[in-house]
Amino acid sequence: MQQIINFLIKYRNLLLYLFLMVAAVVFTVQSHDYHRNTTIHSSGNITGSILLTKNSFYDYFKLQDQNEKLNQENASLRMRLLEISDTLLGNETTFIFPDSIPYKIFPARVIKNDYYKPDNYITLDIGTDQGIEIDMGVISSTGIVGVIDHSSNKFSRVISILNSQISLNAQIKGTATIGSLKWAGNDPYRMSLEDVPRLARVTRGDTIITGRQSTMFPPDILIGVIKDAQLVENGSRYKINVELFNDMTNLDYVNVIKNRDIMALKAIDTLGTNE
Amino acid sequence: MNRTLANNILRFAGLLVLQIFLFDEIDFLGFIDPMIYILFIVLFPVENKRWSFLLLAFGLGIILDTFQNSGGAHAAAALTVAFTRPIWLRLVYGESYRMKNLKVIRTPIDRLLLFLTLCILAHHLVFFSLIIFNSSQILYTIKLTLSVGLASLIANSLLLSLFKPRVKT
Repeated sequence: MQQIINFLIKYRNLLLYLFLMVAAVVFTVQSHDYHRNTTIHSSGNITGSILLTKNSFYDYFKLQDQNEKLNQENASLRMRLLEISDTLLGNETTFIFPDSIPYKIFPARVIKNDYYKPDNYITLDIGTDQGIEIDMGVISSTGIVGVIDHSSNKFSRVISILNSQISLNAQIKGTATIGSLKWAGNDPYRMSLEDVPRLARVTRGDTIITGRQSTMFPPDILIGVIKDAQLVENGSRYKINVELFNDMTNLDYVNVIKNRDIMALKAIDTLGTNE
Repeated sequence: MNRTLANNILRFAGLLVLQIFLFDEIDFLGFIDPMIYILFIVLFPVENKRWSFLLLAFGLGIILDTFQNSGGAHAAAALTVAFTRPIWLRLVYGESYRMKNLKVIRTPIDRLLLFLTLCILAHHLVFFSLIIFNSSQILYTIKLTLSVGLASLIANSLLLSLFKPRVKT
């Protein structure tokens, strides 16, 4: 007994080091592990409000750029509106946005954005108080951004599409070909579309959009264009390099999308075959 | 004694603020953010209670981890530097550093830079190994360690040259 106590006293620093090291490594492993069981995250109230203050300093440097972006988005939205009112011309109904649209959109600001690590996260300045829930999709004016993975009452954390753990359903525009969109790391402007069947028509310059199988994003949100493709797995599948429309290194205002029917979709998806 | 305590509290908070508000935003070449908070561990008094030093380093790391969403990588790296610091001290200042009531910040600049380099290398190696967390990307880990390490060394030396008291010769 005496010896054990002596041992503990003699090696107390080593033991403390080992204990803290194990704790740190456990946190790290958690953070590399897909989904929301992380202990250390940036959507806590103190961390969030400090990041918000910091963001307010750096905001002034981006005003010009953001104005231009908003302007472009306005223009493209106006074009869509004109297109819709054109097709509605002569019809009795003029309700362009009926209540039955199954998506709700929350505007939010990015207060922290990473893009050079293997696993990147984004922090937003809205949280459960504003109705944000886990698994909602996040888009910007030019394309998809990520998926909500953690939220406190005022802030939420987004798994960026630049994260090795994310895999999204995507589709080649104009065809029914789907694949899963992943990030290989290193380049914040490129992603890859994997598991595309060999018989699919893949053409350079074709647009990639979100697929209809995704419960997080509405269909037809822009992602990027096909840069090149190669056959992998003994030539049975394509791996397509996609150049993103979105500049992930320069994000400020984003929209969080709530899918009204998500519970219904999930319930249908998980139905067993024997029931 | 009180002055050292005040000094260290100031250093802890000051370096943390500088790191989060300024140095995390540098993004040189898109991925190089110098880490300057390591200076707290480098300059910590040599005569210390070992366990409190370890806990402080761990705490400093975990605070940064919450801001950068890096799990516990900063904490592990800072903790390792704190734990292995006596080895680097012995290497750089010789076996007798304990007797001389050594103050790291008052030592000659060449020794100080060597000590700083060793600490930064140890820190960045642990940090990027945990961040990449993939043994097949070991070359990428080393590349990151060296490139960010160089940036950290430059940033830390600049800070040191600002705050280092003049040594009478």
